[in-house]
Amino acid sequence: MTSVLEISGLKKSFGEKKVLQGVDLTVPEKKVFGFVGRNGAGKTTTMKVTLGLLAADAGEVSVCGETVHYGNTKTNRFIGYLPDVPEYYSFMTAMEYLKFCGEITGLPSNESKGRCEEMLRLVGLADEKHRIKGYSRGMKQRLGIAQALLGRPKLLICDEPTSALDPLGRKEILDVLVAAKEETTILFSTHVLSDVEHICDEMALLNDGKIVMQGSIEEVKSKRRSNAVEIQLEREADAKTLAGTFGGFQVIKPEVLLLKDAAVVSDVLRFMADHDMPFVRMEKQEATLEDVFMEVLKSGSGNGKEGK
Amino acid sequence: MKAFLKKEWMEMTRTGRLLILVIIFTIFGIMNPAIAKLTPWMMEMLEDSIAQSGLQIGVVTVNALTSWTQFYKNAPMALIVIVLMSSGILTNEYQKGTLVQVVTKGLSRKKIMLSKMIVTYGCWTALYLLYFGITYGYTAYFWGGDEVPHLLFGVFAYWLFGMVVLAVLMAFSAAANSGGQVLLGTGSVMAVLFFANYVPKLQKYLPLQLMNGLQTAVGAMEVKEFYAAMIIAGAVTVGCGMISMVVFDRRAL
Repeated sequence: MTSVLEISGLKKSFGEKKVLQGVDLTVPEKKVFGFVGRNGAGKTTTMKVTLGLLAADAGEVSVCGETVHYGNTKTNRFIGYLPDVPEYYSFMTAMEYLKFCGEITGLPSNESKGRCEEMLRLVGLADEKHRIKGYSRGMKQRLGIAQALLGRPKLLICDEPTSALDPLGRKEILDVLVAAKEETTILFSTHVLSDVEHICDEMALLNDGKIVMQGSIEEVKSKRRSNAVEIQLEREADAKTLAGTFGGFQVIKPEVLLLKDAAVVSDVLRFMADHDMPFVRMEKQEATLEDVFMEVLKSGSGNGKEGK
Repeated sequence: MKAFLKKEWMEMTRTGRLLILVIIFTIFGIMNPAIAKLTPWMMEMLEDSIAQSGLQIGVVTVNALTSWTQFYKNAPMALIVIVLMSSGILTNEYQKGTLVQVVTKGLSRKKIMLSKMIVTYGCWTALYLLYFGITYGYTAYFWGGDEVPHLLFGVFAYWLFGMVVLAVLMAFSAAANSGGQVLLGTGSVMAVLFFANYVPKLQKYLPLQLMNGLQTAVGAMEVKEFYAAMIIAGAVTVGCGMISMVVFDRRAL
């Protein structure tokens, strides 16, 4: 499998503040790649370096096999970019703006009109005749996706496309991204984990300027997945007896126990049946991305600001 | 690049900037011959009150030269208007972040800078021609027979001076973050020039020399006294252009 974006040993600091401390990242083709990290982790910085908008202190970034240079970079022809707060020429209409983008991307003029209309339909702005001046945040974000996808980029970079939107607007953006997956690879930064679980194939977690975890959603989850079983008993006394009898129990609450070693589950069940211990519930623990996220952040230095 | 120029044009017309500039330059253009034409009449109106204060006014004669004197008096104002209106040509886009999309779409920074220069210099040239054209037309109408020596040369020299100022402005625009900084930088350069102008030996090399077009018309200066300043002005314009390109290529957007 070829990779669209490769980042190795990327370092960047702003004055004293070391934002990126050796980021290594590989984004494979035709995937939706979730780039996760708390606010201020360095997601935007990484993306801006990839776009040649910021100079890296060390390390290398290549897009479709070509190295990215700061300033004028040719690699941008492969990339569609949606900034976190997209800004447009407010005196234009959506259609005019897309045509303008089409012209500078080098879209053939006979193709341009059709492609612009197609994109506007995709993001639901086809009937919008007003100038961009009066657009809402969500509309701007959708226009942002339209302009980013216009030139059929190999890589679509979206910087927190859903963060500032209401639930409906968010769903619309996610739907558009899923639809776009057919055509392109998507690198999508966010701190909203449910979005990642919904649409991403792979993800990387950025913390304190380093990638602390990378892989498919399943892989990441399985890192934390244990066969642990949680048992809630009706009586506290029974819980105490169980914990006393079997090793490997962790007392979460007086009547709730966590059994880390799944191999002894049947023994425990038999014991409970023999001693007539009624229980409220018993369930296998599923790790959510949130658990993984929290655990990784906790095990990290944890000296950062409060994340969302 | 054509697309970007089209966008600039759309911006100028839709935001009303072009309309304002055309109106201002038209007014300036009309004012020159109008003031010249009205001077005798105004003097007549004021004659009584002036006479009371004990002053005697002789016969006031106005001709084409009076109109062109006004032309050179108002030209700095016109240039200042252009400078003020152009101070945000790049910085506004940095502040809003609108260039980020353009650059990430693959338009080269050189082409962006070149477009901005074409717009700025083009604006100055076209509006200055308008200003000149209107003054020329009315002056010819009122005082058609009067011959003004080296008229076009003087007018061209002033245009070149405007180009120098705007080239400096573009260089500051490439580097600065706000319109205020651009104005401050351009203003400082002008201030330094005016101070340098106090040194008699320097005078003929400074671009400020190019503002003296009227002196050739009245015969106080010769055309060839402008040549050194013209060559330097041209060099400064080109040099500033190159600096702008290099700085803009490296700046953060």
